[in-house]
Amino acid sequence: MDWLTTALILLPVGGALLIWIVPLNPFAVGSTALLVALAEVGLWIDAVSKFDFSQPGLQLDQQTSWFSDLHVSYHVGLFGFSLWLVGMTVVVMAAAIAYAFWAGRDRPRAYYGLMLLLTGALVGVFAAQDLLLFYVFWEAMLIPLYVLIGVWGGAGRLRATIVFVIYTMAGSLLMLASIIVLGLSQGTFDMIGSGTNGSDWIFLGFAAAFAVKAPLFPLHAWLPEAYRESSAEVSAVLSGIVSKAAAYGFLRIAIPKFPGPTSDFRIPILVLAGCGLIYGSLLAFRAPDLRGVIAYSSLAQLGLITFGIFAVNDLGLNGAVLQMVNHGLISATLFLLAGGIERRAATGELARLGGMARGRPALATVLMTTGIIALAVPGSTAFAGEFAILSGVFFTGWGWAVVGAVAIVLAAMYMLRLISAVLHVRPGASVSEAALDLRPAELGILVPLVACLLVLSAWPAAITDRSFVSSPSAAVRQVLP
Amino acid sequence: MIPAAWICLFAPLGAAIAITLAGNRLSRRAAGYLATTSVLVSFVAAVVSFAFLLGDPPDNREHYSTLWHWLTAGPYQFDLRILVDPLSTFMMLIVAGVGFLIVWYSIGYMDGDDEERRYFAYMALFVFSMLLLVQGGNLLMLLAGWGLVGLSSYLLIGFWHERPTAIAAAKKAFVMNAIGDATMALALFILIQRDGTLNFEVVFSRTGSLGTWAANLVALGLLGGAVAKSAQLPLQTWLPDAMEGPTPVSALIHAATMVTAGVYLIVRTNALFEAAPHVQELAAGLGAATLLMAGLIALVQTDIKRVIAYSTMSQIGYMFLAAGLGAYADAMFHLMTHAFFKALLFMAAGIVIHALADEQDLRKMGGLRQYLPKTYWAFLVGALALTGIPPFSGFFSKDSLLAPALAHGWYGQLLWVAGMVGVFLTGLYTFRMLFLAFWGEPSPFVQEHFHALKRDVVGVSLAVPVGVLTVLAAFAGWIQVYNFWTPISNWLDPVAPPLVTASGLQEAATSVIAVALALTGIGVAWWIYAARRGEAPRTLPLLQHKFYFDELYDALFYRPAVFLATGLYRWVERPLVFGSLRELAAAVRELGFETRSIQTGLVRTYVLAIAASLAVITIVFVVVR
Amino acid sequence: MNGPDVVWYLAVAAFLFCTGALGVLIRRSPLIVLLSLEIMLNGANLALIAFARQQGHEDGQIFALAVMAVAASEVVVGLGLIVAMARRRLDLDVDKLRTLRG
Repeated sequence: MDWLTTALILLPVGGALLIWIVPLNPFAVGSTALLVALAEVGLWIDAVSKFDFSQPGLQLDQQTSWFSDLHVSYHVGLFGFSLWLVGMTVVVMAAAIAYAFWAGRDRPRAYYGLMLLLTGALVGVFAAQDLLLFYVFWEAMLIPLYVLIGVWGGAGRLRATIVFVIYTMAGSLLMLASIIVLGLSQGTFDMIGSGTNGSDWIFLGFAAAFAVKAPLFPLHAWLPEAYRESSAEVSAVLSGIVSKAAAYGFLRIAIPKFPGPTSDFRIPILVLAGCGLIYGSLLAFRAPDLRGVIAYSSLAQLGLITFGIFAVNDLGLNGAVLQMVNHGLISATLFLLAGGIERRAATGELARLGGMARGRPALATVLMTTGIIALAVPGSTAFAGEFAILSGVFFTGWGWAVVGAVAIVLAAMYMLRLISAVLHVRPGASVSEAALDLRPAELGILVPLVACLLVLSAWPAAITDRSFVSSPSAAVRQVLP
Repeated sequence: MIPAAWICLFAPLGAAIAITLAGNRLSRRAAGYLATTSVLVSFVAAVVSFAFLLGDPPDNREHYSTLWHWLTAGPYQFDLRILVDPLSTFMMLIVAGVGFLIVWYSIGYMDGDDEERRYFAYMALFVFSMLLLVQGGNLLMLLAGWGLVGLSSYLLIGFWHERPTAIAAAKKAFVMNAIGDATMALALFILIQRDGTLNFEVVFSRTGSLGTWAANLVALGLLGGAVAKSAQLPLQTWLPDAMEGPTPVSALIHAATMVTAGVYLIVRTNALFEAAPHVQELAAGLGAATLLMAGLIALVQTDIKRVIAYSTMSQIGYMFLAAGLGAYADAMFHLMTHAFFKALLFMAAGIVIHALADEQDLRKMGGLRQYLPKTYWAFLVGALALTGIPPFSGFFSKDSLLAPALAHGWYGQLLWVAGMVGVFLTGLYTFRMLFLAFWGEPSPFVQEHFHALKRDVVGVSLAVPVGVLTVLAAFAGWIQVYNFWTPISNWLDPVAPPLVTASGLQEAATSVIAVALALTGIGVAWWIYAARRGEAPRTLPLLQHKFYFDELYDALFYRPAVFLATGLYRWVERPLVFGSLRELAAAVRELGFETRSIQTGLVRTYVLAIAASLAVITIVFVVVR
Repeated sequence: MNGPDVVWYLAVAAFLFCTGALGVLIRRSPLIVLLSLEIMLNGANLALIAFARQQGHEDGQIFALAVMAVAASEVVVGLGLIVAMARRRLDLDVDKLRTLRG
C-alpha cells in the first residue's frame, strides 16, 4: 500500500479546495497555487528516488475496491514510462501556473483552483490502472479545460470551447461504451492481469477517443481554434500534456489489450499518422501567426509519436516515450514564449513581428535554443526521439521512414521561418522599442524548461534507459498484463 | 591519450556555454580571448593525442572511449563515444589548429561589432561540433556532429541578422543541409536494421552481409549527406550565398573545415562505399562535374569572396574525385593543404575588405599591392598554392590526387581530363582575382576609401595568423612527396586502404601537364587582366546565373512546397476539416427542426397519439398472448 | 342475480367510453372536451361496478368511488383553467391554443 501515487493525485486537488474555500487575496491565491505546484514537483522527485528502474511491473501502487460487484477498484500505480510522463506533467503545470501568476489573471481563485484540479486529473490519467477510474480522470480533465478556455480565452473562445468539448466528448463516449463492454466481458475493470480481447469494435471505441484527443489527422478540427483562443499557458497545457494523455492511452490500453485489432488497424493508423506528420508540417510552414505554427507543428509531432507507438517495437516505443516528454517540454516553452511575445507586441501575426533580437538577447537566446531543439537538430533530444521512432518504424516498411525524413526537412523550414519572422531583419509593425527583453520572472519559468531539454539532449538515455525494463523481446511485453 | 581527446572535444563547448551564461558581464574582447584559448587548448590536446597515438604500433591505433549511453531501446544501444585513430587525430589537428588561427584572427576582424560575444560563442560551438563530427565513435555521434555544424553554420551565416540576404542565406544553408541529414538518417536506419548497431567497428566489418540493394542505398544516403555538407552537385547552391557571413566564418566553416566534412565522411565510411562501387564512382563523377562547373562560374564572379567560395567548391570536387576513386590518403592530404591556403586566401581577402570599409566588389579594387604589400604577398602565396605551382603545397597535394585517376581505367582517365581542365580554370580565375585586386593602378575607390590597419592588438591578431598560414601554405606540401616520402599515406592507410595507386610515370606526367596548364591559365589571366592586352570574353548568361540551379530549385521544390501548403489549407483544412464541423452542426440542427414538428401544440394530436399507442399495445399484447 | 347480464352493462360502459373519446377528439370547445372526458370516466366507472358485481366483492365499487373523487378534482382544475382563459378573452378553441408547440 503506497500512498505516494494517491498523494500525487490528491495534493493539487487539495490545493484547489483550499483556494476555493479560504478567502485569500489574489496574490496569496497565486502564490499558494504556485507553492502547491512546486510541492507536487518535489513529490514527483521523491517518487523517482523511490522507483526501482530495474524491476518490471507496476510500482508505487495502491488498490482498494470501489464497486465490488462489478470488480471496479481504485487502482493507481506507475510504470517507468508513466513516471516520466507524470514528471513532464507536473513540471509543465508548474510552469503554466507560474506564468499565469506572473501575467495576472482575473478571478484568480476560480482560475488557480481549476488549474490545480486539472493537474490532479492529468496525473490521475497517467496513474490509473482501472478502466473506469481511467475514464473518470479522462473526463475530469475536460471540465477545468472547458471553463479555462471558455472564460479566460481570446475573442473566439466560445466557439473554440464548444467545438473542443463536443468533439472530445464524442470520442470519450465511444470509449465509455468500449470500457463497459470490455469490463463486463472480462469480468473485471482492472487493467493489470486481465487478459486481452480480440474485438475490433471495442478497440475502435478506444481508438476513437485517443485519436480525437491526440489529435490524429483528420480528427484535428478542434485543434487550431482551441490552441489559438486559449490563454498561452492553457495552450501549453493542452499541447504539452493533454495530447500526451491520448498517446499514453494508445500505449497503455489500446495496444496491449488488443493485440489482434492492433495488427489489423496498424497500417491505417500509420497512414493517418504519416498524413498528419506531413500535413501538419506543411500547414505550419504557411501559418500566418505564432500560435498557428506551433499548433500545426503539434499535430505533426503527435503524428510522429503515433508512428513510434504503432511501430510496436523497442525502438519505436522508446522513441515515442522520449518524444512525448520532449514535445511536452518543447511546446510548453514555445507557447509560453509566444504568450510573452504576444503581450509585448499585442499580436501574434508573423507579418507584424520581426527584428526582436536587437536589444533583447535573452529572448533571442531562449527562442533560438527552443526553436532549434524543436526542429530536432541532430544532437538534440528531439532528434534522439525522432531518430529512434523513425528507425523503429523503418522495420515496418522503408516508406514510413522516408515520410519521416521528408518531415525532418519540413520541420527545419517551418521552425526557421518562425524564428526569423520573430527575431530577424527589421522590427515589425507591432514591435516597438519599448518592448522589453524577457523579465527575470519569465526567465525563471522558461530557463528551467530549456535546461531540462538541454540536459536531455546530452543524455536522452535518462528516459529511454528507464522507461521499459529492457528485454530482448519487444518492450511492450512489459506493458502487457 | 583518451582524456586529451575528451578535453579536445569539450573545451570549446565549455567556452561557448561560459560566454552565453556570462552575457554582459564578460567584456567583448575577453569573450574573444576565451574562445581563442579554448580552441588552443583543443589543439594542444589534439597534439597530445596524436603524440600518444604515434607511440602505438601501426596495427593498434584504434581506441574507443565511451562516456555514457546516449540513446537506448531494448537491445539497441547508441553511446556517447569517441574514437582516437589516425584519421580522427589528423582531422582534430586540422580543425583545432586552423580553428585556433581563425578564431584569433576574428578578435581583430570582429573588433567593434556590437555582438562580438555572440559571435565567439557561436565559433566555439562550431569548433565543438566539428570535433564531435570527426571524433565521433559511431555513426550516430557523427550525425549529431554533422547536424550541429549545420546549426553553427546557420547561426554564423545569419550573424548579422538584420540583413535580409544574410537570413535568407542562413535558412537556405540549413535547409539544404537538412536534406543531407535526412538522407543520412535513412542510410543509418538501414544499417540499424541489418547490423543492430551503429558502432564503426561492427558496421564496417559487416558490409558483406548487406546485399547489393541495401549497400547501394546506404552509400547513396551517405553520399547525399556528403554532397549537401560539401556543397557539391546537386546541393551546391547554398555555399556562395553563405558568403553573407563574416569573413572568418567563411574561412573556417566554408573553406577549411565544415565543407570538407563530406570528404571525411567518405574516407571514414570507405568500407560502406566500397561495398557499393557504383555509388562511389558516382561520388567521383559528381566531384568532377562540380569542379568544372564551379571553376567556370568563378570566372565571372565580381565579389572577391564568391570567387574564393566557388574555388572551394571546385577544390572539394577534386577531393571527392580522389575519394570516389579510392585514393583516400591523397584526398585527405589535399584537404589539409586546402585548409591552409584557402583559409589564408579568405583571411587575406578579409584584410582587404576591412581596409576598404567592407567593400567586396573586385571591379572597384585595383593596385592594392602598393597599399597592402604584406597582404599581397600572403595572397600571392595562397594563390600559387591553390593553382598548384611548385614548390608550394597545392602542387604536391593536387597532383598526387589526380594521378591515381589514371590508374582507374577509362572512367578515371575521363575524370583526370576533367581535373586537368579544372587546373587551367583554377589558374585563370585565381589570378584574375589577384590581378584585378592587387595589380594595376589604384582605383579611385581605393584611393578614396582605403584606411590602414593599426599596429595594435587588432593588427597583431589579423597579421600573425595570416603569417602562420602563409608559411603553412608554402611549405606544408613537403610532408608528402609522390612515392618517395609518404608519411601521410603511411599514417592514414591502415584506416582507409587506397584502392588505386599511381605509378611513377603517371605521377610525373600528371605533374608536368598540370603545371603547364596552370601556368597557361595564369598567363591568360595576365594577358587579359594585368597587361590589359586582351578583351575578356562576353560572359554567358548561363554562367552569370550559376547554371540556373537557384531558379531550378526554386521552381522544383520551394514553390511547390508553398503551393502545396497554401493549397492544403484552402482546399482541405478549411472545407474538409472546418467545413465538416459546420456541416455536422447544420445536419444536427436540421434533424432538430424535423423532430420539432411532432410537438404541434395541439392537444388533440397528443390525445390521438395516446389513444393510438394504447390501441397498438393492446393489440400486440392480445396477439402475443 | 337480478337484472340484465353483466355483458350489457359492459356494453353500455363501452358505448359511453367511445362516445366520450370521440367527443374529446372531435369537439373544439375545451368545455365540451372536459364534458366528454367526464363521460369517458363515467363509462370506466360503470365497467368497474359491473365487474365488481360479477366478481362478487366490492373492490370495484370502492375503486369507482376513488375515480369519482379524482374526476371531481380534475373537473375543478379544468373548469378553473377555462374560466381563467375566458377571463383573459382567449379563444376557447382547442385548435387555437397551441403556444406549447415545439
